Amino acid sequence: MIVEGRPILQARNLRKLFPVGRGMLFAVDGVDLDIMAGQTLALVGESGSGKSTVGRCLVRLIEPTSGEVFLDGRSILGLNSVLLARQYRRVQMVFQDPNASLNPRMTVRQTLIEPLRLHLKMNRRTREARARELVEMVGLTTAHLDRYPNELSGGQRQRVGIARAVAVEPDVVILDEPTSSLDVSVRGQILDLLMDLQAKLNLAYLFISHDLQVVRHVSHRVAVMYLGGIVEIGPTAKVFSEPKHPYTRALLSAAPVAKWGVKRTRLRLSGEISSPIDLPDTCRLVGRCPFQQPVCSEARPKLVDIDQDHAVACPIVLAKTEGPPPFVGLLATPSVTAGAHPATLTQ
Amino acid sequence: MNVATAPIVAAAPLNAAPLLEIENYSGSFRARNGDLTPVLYNVSLQLKTGVITAVVGETGSGKTLVASSILGIQPATFVRTSGRILLGGVDLVSLDEKGLRKIRGGQISMVFQDARAALNPMFTVGRQLADVHQRLHGSGKAEAMEAAVDAIRRVHIPEPARRARQYPHEFSGGMAQRAMIAMAALICEPQLLILDEPTTGLDVTIQSEIMDLILELSRSRGLTTCLITHDLGVVAATCEEVVVMNAGRVVETGSAETIFTAAKDGYTRKLLAASQLGEMAA
Repeated sequence: MIVEGRPILQARNLRKLFPVGRGMLFAVDGVDLDIMAGQTLALVGESGSGKSTVGRCLVRLIEPTSGEVFLDGRSILGLNSVLLARQYRRVQMVFQDPNASLNPRMTVRQTLIEPLRLHLKMNRRTREARARELVEMVGLTTAHLDRYPNELSGGQRQRVGIARAVAVEPDVVILDEPTSSLDVSVRGQILDLLMDLQAKLNLAYLFISHDLQVVRHVSHRVAVMYLGGIVEIGPTAKVFSEPKHPYTRALLSAAPVAKWGVKRTRLRLSGEISSPIDLPDTCRLVGRCPFQQPVCSEARPKLVDIDQDHAVACPIVLAKTEGPPPFVGLLATPSVTAGAHPATLTQ
Repeated sequence: MNVATAPIVAAAPLNAAPLLEIENYSGSFRARNGDLTPVLYNVSLQLKTGVITAVVGETGSGKTLVASSILGIQPATFVRTSGRILLGGVDLVSLDEKGLRKIRGGQISMVFQDARAALNPMFTVGRQLADVHQRLHGSGKAEAMEAAVDAIRRVHIPEPARRARQYPHEFSGGMAQRAMIAMAALICEPQLLILDEPTTGLDVTIQSEIMDLILELSRSRGLTTCLITHDLGVVAATCEEVVVMNAGRVVETGSAETIFTAAKDGYTRKLLAASQLGEMAA
C-alpha cells in the first residue's frame, strides 16, 4: 500500500486479548496502521469493534498483547517507563468525556501548566506565558485560566482538554470520540478548532469516532474496524463514495443524513455483532454477510490492495465474481422527488 | 438477498386533526428558597393523528420536559405557570394522579432512551410485558404471556418464546429497546406513542433498524407518534412534522420537508448547518 507522506506513528500486527472467564476476548486482533505526519487518520467502527483499545495501545495506556508500535521509526513497546515518559511528549491524547478527564480540583491554569512543568521543564514565568497563549489558541480567554472545570460548559471543557494535549507540542494527538458528548452546534466549533490547530501546528491525528459524518468532514484517510480488525482502509473520499467491504457498506448505508430527500439503498447485515470471545479464524462477518461464500470460512481475510492506498479484507470483493449489486453511497447526489417522503423513496 | 427496504405504507395526511394539543405551556423550576427559574416559555405544538412528529432541540431546549409533562412525570420541582395540554378536550395538567394513571399506558405510552434501565432487572422481559397486558386489558395470566411473546415476535426479536423467559441483562441494547417498543406500542395499544431519544447510544446499524421498526409500527397501526431527538438525520429519514425547540421556546414548526428545505428561523438554519457539517450540499 502506497500512502503519501511520512509515517509518524505506526502499528504492526497489534493485538490485545483480555482474559475473561472462559476464554479470551479479542479486543484488537492484528491491526496495522500508519498515521502520517500532519494528517488525520480516522478509526471508525461500532461499539465493541476495538477502536478505543487501538488508541490506548498506541500510547501504552493499555499494554498490547503482541505486535509493534513505532514512533518516528522507533519501537516504543520495549521502552522502560522513563524513556516512555519522554516519548509521551510527542503523542498526546484527548478523551471523550472532558468531565472525567479533567481534574475537578485543578483550575484551567493548573491543568495546562502541569504538562509544561513535567515534559518541558519550563520555569514559572514561561509557563504562565505559555498557558495564556494556549487558552487563546483554543478560543478561550485568559479569564478562563482561574476557572474550575465545573464552571465551564461542555464545549469549553473540551477546549481545555485540547489545549492540554497540544501544550507540549506533540507530533500526534489521539482523539478518542472528542465530540461525542457535545451538542451539534458545539461539535462543529470543536471540529473547526481541531482542523485549525492541525494546520497551524502540523499535527497528526488519530480520530477515533463512531460518527461517520464527522469522520468524513475531518479525516484524510479512514480505517473501518469490525470485531478487532480493520476491514477496509483508504482515502476518506473514496471509502465514502465507493465503499467495498460489505461491513463498510452496511455501516455507511445505515448512517442517517440530516438532509431532505436523500436516497439510501440499505445493505443490511443479519443479526447483531457476534461475541468477541474466542473468535474463530474466519472472516468476522460470517453469519451476517449477505454475500458470504465457503471461502469466507476458510481463513481470516487479510487486507489486500484494490487500488493505490485503498485496501479491503474481503475475498468476495477481491474475486469480483458476480459482483454485489451496484451500491449508492452517501456521496451519491441526493435525488429529491417533490412531496415524497424519503422512506418511500427507498423502495 | 438482504438488500431490504422499508415496507410500503402510506403516511397519514398532514392536514389530520390534532390528537394532542399543547397551548401556551410555560413553567419554571422552583428552587429550595422558593425562587422560580423559568424554563419553558409559551410552548405551543400539535401532534396530529396518525402522524410522526419530531420534537428536536439541543441540551436544555426543554424537549424532554415537554414530553414528560404530557404524561405527568415532570420533575417534582417543576411548576406550570400557564397553558394547557389537551388530549381529546381534557387538560392533562389538571388531572390528579388517579386520572393520569388512566391515561398512562392505555392512551399514551412512552419509550425512554436507556431501555435496559427502563426494564425491571428482577423480572423476565416476557413477565413484564405480560403484567402490563393483564393490567391494561384485564387478561388472564396465560393469555397475557401469549400476547407478550407475540409482541416480542412482532418487533422482530428472534426466538421470541425463549427471549420472553430471559432477564433484561441478557438482552443487548438494541434488543431491549425493541422489547420496550413492543410494550409501549403493541401491549399498551396507545393512541399516542412518545419516544424520548430512543436510539441515542445505539450503534448506527442498530439505530436504523429501530427507526424502521418505529416507522413500520406507527404506519401500520395509524399510531400518533412523537419522537424527541437531537438527531436531525433520524428526523429526515422518519418524520413528517417537525417542532424545533431552543432554550425553552418553540422556534419553528412545519412539515419535515419545509424544515429541511426552507427553514425560516435562524436557529433552525444553524442547527441544520451544524448537523450537515456544511458538506452534504448536493
